[in-house]
Amino acid sequence: MPKLTIDGHEVEVAARTNLIEAARAAGVFIPYFCYHPYLTVVGQCRICMVEIQGQPRLALGCATPATDGLVVKVETSARAKEAREAVMEFLLANHPLDCPVCDQAGECLLQDHSMREQRDTFTTHMAETRRTFPGYERRLLGPHIVQNQNRCIHCSRCIRFTQEISETAALTYKSRGNSEFIDTFDGRAFDDPMSACAADVCPVGALTVREFRFRKRAWKLSSTPSICPGCSIGCNIFIDHHEREVHRFTPRENPAINATWLCDYGRFLADSLNEQTYLYPQRRAAGHMVRAEWGEAIAALALELRAARPLRVVASANLSNEELFLARELFGRHLRGELAVPLAAGEQRRMRNGKGEWLHAADPYPNSLGARRLGLNVVDGEGLSRFLYGGAGLTLILDAEAHPFLAGAEALQLLRVGATAVWMRCEHPLAGVAGWLLPAASLASDEGTFTSSTGVVQRFAAAFSPPGTVHRMPTGAMSPECPTIASPWGPPGEARPLWLVLTALARELGAPNLDLASPAEVFTLMAQTDRAFAGLEWEALGGLKLDESFRERQHVG
Amino acid sequence: MEPVLLRARGVPGSRSIATYLAAGGYEGWKRALGLGPDAVVKEVLDSELRGRGGAGFPTGRKWSFVPKDHPGPRYLVCNADESEPGTFKDREIIEHDPHQVIEGIAIASFAIKANTAYIYIRGEFVRWATILEEAIGEARAKGLLGTNVLGSGFDLDIWVHRGAGAYICGEETALIESLEGKRGFPRLKPPFPAVVGVFGKPTVVNNVETLACVPHIMTRGAAWFASIGRPRNTGPKLFCVSGHVNRPGVYELPLGVTFREIIEEHCGGVRGGRKLKAFFPGGSSAPVMTADEVDVKADFDACAEAQTMLGSGGVIVLDDSVDMVAVADNIAHFYAHESCGQCTPCREGSDWCADILDRMAAGHGRASDPDTLLRICRFSSEGMTICPLGDAYALPLSSMVNKFRAEFERRIADATPLPQKRLPVLPWTGPRPGFGI
Amino acid sequence: MTTRPLVVATQETTSDVKFDKTMEDRIADVLRRYPTTRAALLPVLWLCQERFGWISPGVISAVAERLGESAAFVEGVVSFYTMYYTSPPARYVLQVCTTLSCSVCGGRELVDHLTAKLGIGFGEKTPDGSFQLVGVQCLGACGNAPVIQINDDYYEDLTPKKLDAVLDDLKGRR
Repeated sequence: MPKLTIDGHEVEVAARTNLIEAARAAGVFIPYFCYHPYLTVVGQCRICMVEIQGQPRLALGCATPATDGLVVKVETSARAKEAREAVMEFLLANHPLDCPVCDQAGECLLQDHSMREQRDTFTTHMAETRRTFPGYERRLLGPHIVQNQNRCIHCSRCIRFTQEISETAALTYKSRGNSEFIDTFDGRAFDDPMSACAADVCPVGALTVREFRFRKRAWKLSSTPSICPGCSIGCNIFIDHHEREVHRFTPRENPAINATWLCDYGRFLADSLNEQTYLYPQRRAAGHMVRAEWGEAIAALALELRAARPLRVVASANLSNEELFLARELFGRHLRGELAVPLAAGEQRRMRNGKGEWLHAADPYPNSLGARRLGLNVVDGEGLSRFLYGGAGLTLILDAEAHPFLAGAEALQLLRVGATAVWMRCEHPLAGVAGWLLPAASLASDEGTFTSSTGVVQRFAAAFSPPGTVHRMPTGAMSPECPTIASPWGPPGEARPLWLVLTALARELGAPNLDLASPAEVFTLMAQTDRAFAGLEWEALGGLKLDESFRERQHVG
Repeated sequence: MEPVLLRARGVPGSRSIATYLAAGGYEGWKRALGLGPDAVVKEVLDSELRGRGGAGFPTGRKWSFVPKDHPGPRYLVCNADESEPGTFKDREIIEHDPHQVIEGIAIASFAIKANTAYIYIRGEFVRWATILEEAIGEARAKGLLGTNVLGSGFDLDIWVHRGAGAYICGEETALIESLEGKRGFPRLKPPFPAVVGVFGKPTVVNNVETLACVPHIMTRGAAWFASIGRPRNTGPKLFCVSGHVNRPGVYELPLGVTFREIIEEHCGGVRGGRKLKAFFPGGSSAPVMTADEVDVKADFDACAEAQTMLGSGGVIVLDDSVDMVAVADNIAHFYAHESCGQCTPCREGSDWCADILDRMAAGHGRASDPDTLLRICRFSSEGMTICPLGDAYALPLSSMVNKFRAEFERRIADATPLPQKRLPVLPWTGPRPGFGI
Repeated sequence: MTTRPLVVATQETTSDVKFDKTMEDRIADVLRRYPTTRAALLPVLWLCQERFGWISPGVISAVAERLGESAAFVEGVVSFYTMYYTSPPARYVLQVCTTLSCSVCGGRELVDHLTAKLGIGFGEKTPDGSFQLVGVQCLGACGNAPVIQINDDYYEDLTPKKLDAVLDDLKGRR
C-alpha cells in the first residue's frame, strides 16, 4: 500500500492506483478528459499533467502509478497549472464554444474544468479560422446518437468503448492529425447494443443521445439511484427526472454488475415510466367500470379475500422483494391462498462488469431470482395456464405485465370464472375482465429491493412520490419535496405502490405484523424470517447515497 | 577515412550475396554464433555504438534491457521507415549493400534471442523492399537464415513489412503499432518496447544504419569501432547532405567532423557561390543552426551542447536566397500533416503553427505572431506529448523564430506576401469530410 | 525504368469483393509471417490495392471479414496512411515531393511545369485518366531533389526537360 502526498494531503492507496484516483482519495481533483476508469489509459488529452517533486518533466496523472513517498503537486504547482492552461488553450482553439446551444452543457467535462480552473482568467492567442467538419456538425451517427464533430476533443473514449467494452469496434478515427474525426465504417449506422454509452463517455457534446437531446437542461435534473427494470442483470442506474417526469436513465457505477454501462434497451425504458393510464381504483358495476376510493376498494377487497375459496394470486418477478414477501405472507400464509410467479423467456441481453466479464440475462424481469429465493412457486406460461385453469373464487393479479400469457385470449377466458382484481398502470386487455382495477405506481415512485441474477440484493429509491400525493405540510405550507409550485399535488391521480396497498390490506385483514410503514420495515422483517436475506441491512444495501454519485457522474461524462 | 558502411558503393554487382561474401561478408554472423548472445551484447556495448535513427541511444544498452528470463518469443525490428526530411541514408545502404543490413539483423536477433525479425520499411520504398526481400532469399538459400542456421541450433526468419505512408511510424512505438496492423499511434511509455513491444513481447527496434554497423563491429572488433570518432561518439556515420550545396548526397565520415568540413570540403560548398544562411544538422526535427555555428562538431554530444541534435544526420543546407518564413511554413505543414492526432498539444499546435505561418506568408502577419508561435512550441515540447513529434516541430520552429526573429518581424511589418506560395499536400486520403483524393 | 500503370478499377470489382484463389494464397502467405491476423492488415491492403486499384468500401468489408476485424477498424487504419487510395486513382499518379529540400531545389519549378503541361492542379486527374498530380511529404531522396514518385517508382534529379521525356514515355505506353 503506497503512501504518498498530494498537495500536502497524505494518502494511502492500493498498489497500482494511478494518481488521478489517488488524488481523488486525498480530496484533490486532477482534471481529465480522456481517462476513464473502465477503459485503457491512453494519456492523450494531457490535461492531467501534475508535478512530481524531483522529476524534471511533468507527469501524467492517468498513467503514473502511485508509489511510496511520491510528492505530487496539482493545484500547488505553477508549472502544472501553466501546462493545464496551455492544454485548455489548445483544446479550445478549435472548439466551437457553443455552450448555450449545446445539450451537453452542465455535464460537460470541458466546461466544468473551464469553470473550475479558469473562470475569467482564460485568454487565447488563437486568431486563425477554426477547424470545422462540414457535414458532421449535426449528424445522426446511429439510431440513438447525434454527432457534432466540431465539438470533439479527440479523447477517443467512444472508440475505446466500442473496441474494449461493447466489442463491436463500430467507431473509429478517420484521417489523422488535426483532421481526425470520429466515424463508423463508410458512414453507416452506428449499430451497437450499447450505443448510447458512447455518448455517456463523451466528455463533451460531440456525441449526444438523440432521445434526450433538448428535453431538459442537465442542471435541472435530479438523479435518483435505482435499478434498471429491463432484465435480471440488474444494472445500476440513475433515474434522471424533473417535475415528476422521468427524462432518462443513466448508468450508475457498480463494478460488479455494469461498471458504468447500460444497454440501449434498458436505457430507453425510461420513457415508459411516465405512462400512467389508470389513475384511480375502479370497480365493475353493471358491466361498467366506475371510479372508487382507495378506502372503499381496500375494505371491499378484504371482504372478498376473506370469502375467497380458493384464492389464487399471480405475483410477478417485476415486483420488489418486499412486495413479494408481503404477498407471500399475506395471501399465502395468512389467507392460505395459492401463489404463482410466472416467468417468460425474453431476449438475450448481456452486460459487461468492471472486470470485463460478460453477465447474461436469463429472463426479462428485474427480480426473478428474488422470487425464487423467497420460495415462491415459479411457473412458465403453460404452468400459469394450469394455475388459472382450476378456477377460483378470487384471482389477484398483482402485475398485469407479469407474463405475456395474461394478455392472451386464453387467459381472458380462464379469468371469466370467479372474481378478478388486477393491478395495472398502462392499457392492458385484462382491464376487460377485471372486477377490481387498481392503479399501480411506476418504478420511479416505488421503493424496495431487487435481487440481481448474480444474487446481489440491490435497493432502488423512489424518484418522486406517486401521482396525487399531497405536497403540503400539516401546517399547510408547501413541502420542501414539492416537485412544482404550479401543482403542489403533482399530476392528478391516486396510483400507489403495491407495498403500500398490501400493508393496508394486512391491517384490514387482521395481520398487524404485516402492517408496516415502509419497505425498510418490510425488509427488516424479511431479513429476520427469510434465510435468503439473513444478515442484510437496509441501510447497508449498496451505493444509494447521493453524495457518492459525483464520481460516477463525472465518469459517464 | 576508408568507407565502411558504403564500401560497396560503386562496386559492380554489389547487391549480390556473392560479392558480399567475397568481401568477407557474414563472417561477423559466424563469429557471433560462436561467441554466444551475451558476448555479442558485450562487444556492441564496448564499441559504444549509438543508435543512428535520431535519438542516439547506446545500442548495446537497448539490447541489454530485454528481460533475460522472458519466456516465449522476442522480436527484433529493423526500422527502415526513413521519413525524416533531409535523411536518405538507409536507402543508400540498402541500395548498395543490403546484406550488410541482413547480417546486422541476424546478429542483433541472436544477441537478444529473437527468432523472428521484421524490417519495417516505408511504403514508398517499393524498390528497396524488393531488394531486401531478394537479399533475404539469397541468405536463406545459403543457410545463413532459416532453421538451424549454420548448424548452431538458432532459427531466424526475417520478414519485410511495408508501411503505407506515415512519418510517425518511424517512432518506435508507432512503428510497433503499425506493424501490429493498427493506426500508427505512439504508445505511452513505460513499458518500453524492450519489455512490452510488438505483439506484447520484448522487442528491440534498431535503425538500418545502426544494424549495418553491427557486422563490422563483430568482424573488426569493438576497439576498432571505438577508435573512429571520439569517446562516446564512436564509429562512422552517414551524413545526408541536401539543399543548396554543390554535391549533395550521402557521405560516410567519422563522428566529430565539423559541419564546415561536411559542407565546404565534402559537398563542394554552397551552390552557385552563394552564402550559407542556415542549416539543419540532423533532419528538419533538429533546431536550425546559423552560418555562425558551422564549426560545431557533428556528433551527438557536441550537437547537444549547441542546443540542437545530430538526429539522423540529415544536413539540410539553406543559402541566403531562402526566406525563413517560407522554410518555417514548409516544415510546419510537414509536421501538421504527419501528426498522428493523439495528443492535444501536437494535434492542435502543429496545425495552429501552420495556419499562423500561412497567414504570415500571405502577408497578413501580426506583431504577436512570433510570440504566439513560441508559446505554442513551448507547450508542445518537453514531455507535453506522448512521443517526440511535439518536440520535432516545436524545437526547430522555435529555433527559427529565435534565431531569425528579425526576418519574421520584417515580413510582418512589410505585410507583403512571399513571392511563391507553399505547395499544397494532397491528397489527404481519409480526408476531412468533403475532401477527395 | 518501366513504371507499371495502376489497375483501373471497375464498379463491379470494387463493390462486392470476393477474393479468388490466387488472392487467398497470397493472403495465407502473408498470414504465416505474423503471430496475429491483425498484423497482416497492412500487407493484405497492399495486395488488395495492387489487385483492385484502390481500397473501396467493398474491399474494406472483404478484408475485415477475412481478417476478423470490424470494418470500421480497417477503415480507420486505411485512412491513417496516405498511400492507400480511397478513391480510384489515375493510371499514373505523379507524387511530387513538396518538403523542404525538394521545394528549395527546383520542386516548385517542376510543379509549375507539370500544371502547365498537364493542365491540372494538385489533386486532379487529366481527363483521359492517365495522370494525376498529387503533392506528398518527404520521399526520403532529398539528395537527389527534386523527386517525383510515379506509382511505385522514384524519378530523381529531375528537370522539366527530363520529366517531359518520362511523361511522354508513359503516355505512349498503354
